[in-house]
Parts: sequence; C-alpha cells; structure tokens
Amino acid sequence: MRILLDKFSKSFGNTKVIEAMDLEVGSGEMLALLGPSGCGKSTTLFAICGIHRPTSGRILFGERDVTSLPSQERNVGVVFQSYALYPHMTVEENIGFPLTVRRLPAGDIKKRVADISALVHIDKLLGRRPAQLSGGQQQRVALARALIRRPDVLLLDEPLANLDAKLRLEMRSEIRRLQKETGITAILVTHDQVEAMSMCDRIAIMKEGEIVQIATPSEMYNDPRTAFVAGFLGNPPISFLKGKALGGAFVSGDGNFRLPLGSLRNVGDGRALTIGIRPEHFGPSGDLAIEGKVAFAETQGRENLYDVVLADGSVLRSIQPVRDDVKLGDCVRWNLSSEAAFVFAEDGRRL
Amino acid sequence: MIAPAAIMIFLFYLMPAILTGIFAMTNMSTATGISGGVFQVTQGAVNRLGPDMPELASGIAEPRFVIDEEGLAALEALKLKPGYAAELRGQHIGEVFASRREAERVIKALRDRPSTREVKQISDLFNRSVLNTRFETREALIGNLEKLGFKLKPEEQDKVARETYTGWVWTTDNFKVIGNSPDMAKIFLNTAFYVAVTLMLFNVSYALFLAVTTHYMPPATASIFRAVWLLPRITPVVIYVLMWKWLTWDNGFISMFMGQLGVPPKNYLLDNAYNAWFFVILINGFIGASMGMLVFSSAIKAIPQTHFHASEVDGASRWQQIRYIILPQLRWPILFVTCYQTLSLLASFNEILLSTRGGPGRATEVWSLAAYHTALNNYTGNLEYGLGAALALMLVIIGVILSLIYLRVFRYDTLISKPLIED
Ligand SMILES: Nc1ncnc2c1ncn2[C@@H]1O[C@H](COP(=O)(O)OP(=O)(O)OP(=O)(O)O)[C@@H](O)[C@H]1O
Ligand SMILES: [Mg+2]
Repeated sequence: MRILLDKFSKSFGNTKVIEAMDLEVGSGEMLALLGPSGCGKSTTLFAICGIHRPTSGRILFGERDVTSLPSQERNVGVVFQSYALYPHMTVEENIGFPLTVRRLPAGDIKKRVADISALVHIDKLLGRRPAQLSGGQQQRVALARALIRRPDVLLLDEPLANLDAKLRLEMRSEIRRLQKETGITAILVTHDQVEAMSMCDRIAIMKEGEIVQIATPSEMYNDPRTAFVAGFLGNPPISFLKGKALGGAFVSGDGNFRLPLGSLRNVGDGRALTIGIRPEHFGPSGDLAIEGKVAFAETQGRENLYDVVLADGSVLRSIQPVRDDVKLGDCVRWNLSSEAAFVFAEDGRRL
Repeated sequence: MIAPAAIMIFLFYLMPAILTGIFAMTNMSTATGISGGVFQVTQGAVNRLGPDMPELASGIAEPRFVIDEEGLAALEALKLKPGYAAELRGQHIGEVFASRREAERVIKALRDRPSTREVKQISDLFNRSVLNTRFETREALIGNLEKLGFKLKPEEQDKVARETYTGWVWTTDNFKVIGNSPDMAKIFLNTAFYVAVTLMLFNVSYALFLAVTTHYMPPATASIFRAVWLLPRITPVVIYVLMWKWLTWDNGFISMFMGQLGVPPKNYLLDNAYNAWFFVILINGFIGASMGMLVFSSAIKAIPQTHFHASEVDGASRWQQIRYIILPQLRWPILFVTCYQTLSLLASFNEILLSTRGGPGRATEVWSLAAYHTALNNYTGNLEYGLGAALALMLVIIGVILSLIYLRVFRYDTLISKPLIED
C-alpha cells in the first residue's frame, strides 16, 4: 500500500521538528530513512503509525486519508528501536497480542503464532519471556509481532542497532526477505548507511526535518545532490577540498593543485567551490597526480586505508588493495580520477 | 552502624510488641494496678470462694474476736484500769467469739466495770476479722486465718491466696474470655467486613480507578486531580470527619435537603447500622484511597512509554491496554497496597472513633476500637489492660497471617524474580 506524506509538519510546543515534508513510498517498496541523530526520523515514523498527530499536513495510505485515525485503526506494524516487548508476557503471548486484542479464537491465534514464529526462526522459544532472550531473538519476536496481523505498512525504527555485526548481517537479509515475500510497504529508520544501502529499494536522506534527497542507493552514491548527502553515504567517507574556480578549473586554496572542471568549465572565475573525492578515486591509478604525506594508515584486511595530508593542510582519503610499501609519514604521489570528483557550490549544492 | 539501629529497633519496634505480648498474658487492670498487690479478703473474694469452700467463705465473712496476747499488750498500752487486762488474761485468754456482741458481753462483765465507751475501745483491740483487712504477704493472711480457727489444707491455702490477691497475675484467661464472648464474635465479623469492603472497594479498586484515569489525562490536569484527591489525606482527620458529621447530622446538609422533600430530620450517621457502615466505609475509603493512588500512579509511570505506543499500534483499545499492559505490571504494587492497607485498616480506628464511636450500639465497633475501649476508655471505669493487650496481640497475629496468605496468593516468588525479566 502506498504511503504519502503531504506537507506533513510536526512541532512539539515551540520546537519545529518537521516542516512541510513531502514523501511518497510506493506500494511494496522498502524505503530507508537515513539521517543524523535528532533529524526527525522517529518523529516521522510515529506520525505514520499514529502515535503522534501531525501539526499540519496529511498522511495517506493508498487513497485513504488516515491523518486523524488512531493507531488502532491504521493496521501498521511497528518494530520499535527498543523492541517494546511486554515483559510480563511470554514470547507466544507477545507475538499473539495484536490478534488477542482483535478477539480472534485462541486456536487461530496459536496457529498463526506458530506460522510466523517459524518464519523468523523463533518457534522453539515460544514459552520464554523477553528477558530470557538474546537481543537478536527479541528483535525477531518484535518483528513477528509486527507482522502477525498482516499489516499494510511495516515501520522499523533502528531495529538492528543493538545487534552484533554477524547478527546484524543475518537480520538484514532476513527482514528484506520477509518484506519481499509479504509485499509489505516498509520504512526502515537507521543511522547506518550500509544497512540503508543494502536493504532498501530507495533511500531518503533527512537533515534537520527535511528530506534532502530520495533515490536508489546507487543513484544516491553516484549522484549526490548535496555535499551533505555525499558526506553521509560511503564508508570510509568522501573527502572534501576547498578552493575556487579559475579558468575552467578548480584551484585549491594555495594554488598548488588544479582540477579541470570539464562540463562545468563555465563556472564564473573566483567562485568558491568544494570538490568531493571518494577514497576509491584516489590512489595509484588516475589522471591527476597529487602529492602529500601519509598521516594515517590502517589495514582492513582486504583493503588498506590511508589519510594523505596535502600541502595546504587538507586531507584526502584513499582506499586501495592491500600493499605494504607505504608507511606512516611517507611522502606519496598518487592520482585522482578527475571525472569522478563531485563539484559543490558554497552552499553545498552539487553543480 | 549496627548498634544504634539495633537499639532503635529494640526500644521502639520490638519492645512495644513484646510488652503487648507480656500484658496479654496477665489480668492487669485499673483494679490490680501494674505493680504488685496485697492479700485482701474482699466480699468479691468471699463470693468466689463460696462454691468450693462454703464453710470457710461464710466463716471469714463473719467478724471474729479473739482474746490473745497481742490484744492484751495493746490494752495495757492504753493505760486503762490494769484490772481489765489481768482478768482477761487470767480468765478468757484464747477464747474466740463469733460476733462483736458476744465479745462485748464478756468485756462488760469484767469486775472493774468498764464504761460503754471503754467496752467499745477494748473490743476493737481484739477484733481479728479478716474481711477487708489488707495483708502484705500470703503468710500473714494464712497465719491469721489459722488463729481464727480455720485449718486449711495446702491446696485450699493456694486457692484462698489466689482469690484474695489484689495485684495482677499471669493468666491465659484473656484469650478464653475473647474466645467465648459472643460480643467478640460479632466484633470479629464487623472487623472482617469493614477491612474487606474498604480494602477492595476503595483502597485498591477506587485507587486503581484514580491512578488509571489520571494516567490518561494530560499531565497538567492529572497533577491537579491528584492534588485534589490527596486532600482527604492531608486534611486533619478530626476536621475531615467533622465535615462528614455536618453532612449527616440531624440539622446537617442531608437532613436539610430531605427536609425540602418533607422527610423529618434525623441523624443519618447513627440512624441505623447500615447507614453507619456506609459512612464509616466512605470516610475511611476516601482517606485510604490516596495512598494506593500514589503508589499505582508512580507504578504506571514506570511502565515504559513504548509499551503503550506498541500496544496502541497493535490495536489495543484503552480497556485492553489497562487489562493487558497496566494491570499485569501492577501486580506487585497491588500486593503491597493490599498488605499495607490491611494492616493499617486492622490497626486504625480513629475515623470510626471520631465518627460513630462504634455505634449505634456496638454496630460499627471493630477489633482495634474494642481493644481501645477495653484498655483505655470504657464506661465502667475499670480499664482492663491485660484483656486489651490480648485483643491487640490477636490483631498483630491476624495481620501477620494475612500478609503471609497475600504473599502466597500473589506468588511473591515470581514477583521478586521479575526485575530480572524486566530488562
Ligand atoms: N516529545 C517530544 N517533545 C519535544 N521534542 C521532541 C519530542 N520528541 C522528539 N523531539 C525532538 O524532535 C527532534 C527529532 O526527534 P526524533 O526522535 O525524530 O529524532 P531521530 O531522527 O529519530 O533521532 P535518533 O536517530 O537519535 O533516534 C529532536 O530534536 C528531539 O529533541
Ligand atoms: Mg529515533
């Protein structure tokens, strides 16, 4: 079912958290809501599931306006960041709760609990209480509880934040599989860009209550609309160099370094610019040599990570296949791929 | 740090309970005093001895006059005519007279002719009656009885000593009295009714109702409501009960209102037992509910907000939220309030004392009020501390037993493992 936020605004007292947000999530689509802490991700979710009423604007499920409907009538499954499992109920009672309150016959509930718990692999834990479960098991209970009454919309608020790396990987694919199997429209709130990129059809990046860009993961990565978006996606993150336009090229602050602007060569001389270079576009191969000193070196197993300080003090990051000929403090002369650099105006907009 | 705490515990917590236990095993009263007593053949003692030892009882009730050396020495000390003493010693020593008249006939017949006034004076000296005479020790009492010609077997001596002792003694009679008294049975039922109804209707149910209602109010409104609901607890109880009396008196508000409808004024509080109970329970209920309300409110506040959000999203209505989320998580606070309020309802009687004084008749007399009336304030003026303490002791025991039962019913063992489950 399609979700549409139409000029949705939310403030708490005098604090405006979200202002006039427009967002559309297609039916059966999984959207990641990505952004720094406090930007309003949870607030948006809470409005969609009806816990918070919007200050203004509309929320539509399909063609139905649900803005003033209470949570109970929206048929939304939510996995809360803290799971919000009921401590006094067993796993079975927790999962069955949405059906219990709909007064379904006990036999039906039992059967559906059995089905859904098999789906998330917790069918052996039904008699336990939440405190007797590991974090990952609790998370799956929460997921089962959100899915059991076949919701139109599934909202996941940082569901993987508390898990260890391995479980996180496992759950990522598990959630994605379930979402695809059931065809539910889902929104995943996360801080973690890898999570967002690997699980979702599209990503919406939020900043201070606004959506800066919505796109598929690869579009977002390869064609960021602002410096903020470019900085937010990618690990290790993109590096920025400040300078200005001069004669159809970017010239760094101290004038030592020139990067032809190609299609952007008409930018007026003297205009302040920032270029962004992803770490994979700086290394032994490329078309534009640049010199610097290795200030940081780290191996990540398959790849090595370097920070290179340029003459003007700015830093370029580089990621390369493992090599052991470069050490901390060495002077290096590596290359940029000039056409892969992003050019941003002073206000962060991509040119 | 243990020493001061131990001293405090001993002095102010254990001692009262121990003393209650000790007093409960005595027959202390205003009559016996709380220090030692003397041996005194009172009319009451004579009556008590009557059935078993009729001879002795009738004998010691009579005056006795004995011509003995003790009396003669006293007579000589009076410095009347020396002939009196000499003749009495010579002719009559050892004689016992069953009445003053007989003794005085002999004295009057003395050769030196004592005057009527002297006869009286002399006969007094030989009066060995024991009725209403105080003997400091048991030996003095028995010795005197022997002199009067009562030869008592050891077990008879025991009985006489027991019945004539005016101080307090150790006894378990208090419990027999309580067990056999139909009055106490009625008071026991009163107490059970009063505690059960006040507890269930007000201290728990009404308090839960208040706590849940305020939970669903906006915070500012909720604080106002809570503050107002605390007023009965904050108002001095004397004043608070006075308000209820104004409401229910013959010329109170209810009477005035009913007067408009043509009903003659009456005292609605003490009119009949039903009304008395109605108001006693209301008065106590509104005061008592405040504690439960506070405990339940803070317990509801302690439930994570996300549980409410999650249950709403899961489709639970308010009723279902209360039933499935709030109440199960209030098990421990409900147990606590039930226990605590049972004990405080059992022990406190001030509201009843101030409103109905246990009336009409003894319709609203509860156990603790009966203890108070017995030990500290009764109509006959003989305050029976021992019996009162026994009543109090039984309250303590009942309280402990009830607490143990509650712990079982609420399955305390699962409750204490709960914090582990909580997070
Ligand atoms: N009930 C509230 N009252 C006042 N301000 C609130 C309330 N809830 C959230 N806010 C504010 O709204 C802003 C957005 O909060 P929100 O919880 O949506 O952030 P978030 O993007 O989910 O952050 P995080 O990633 O840390 O969870 C924050 O600045 C927060 O302080
Ligand atoms: Mg959040």
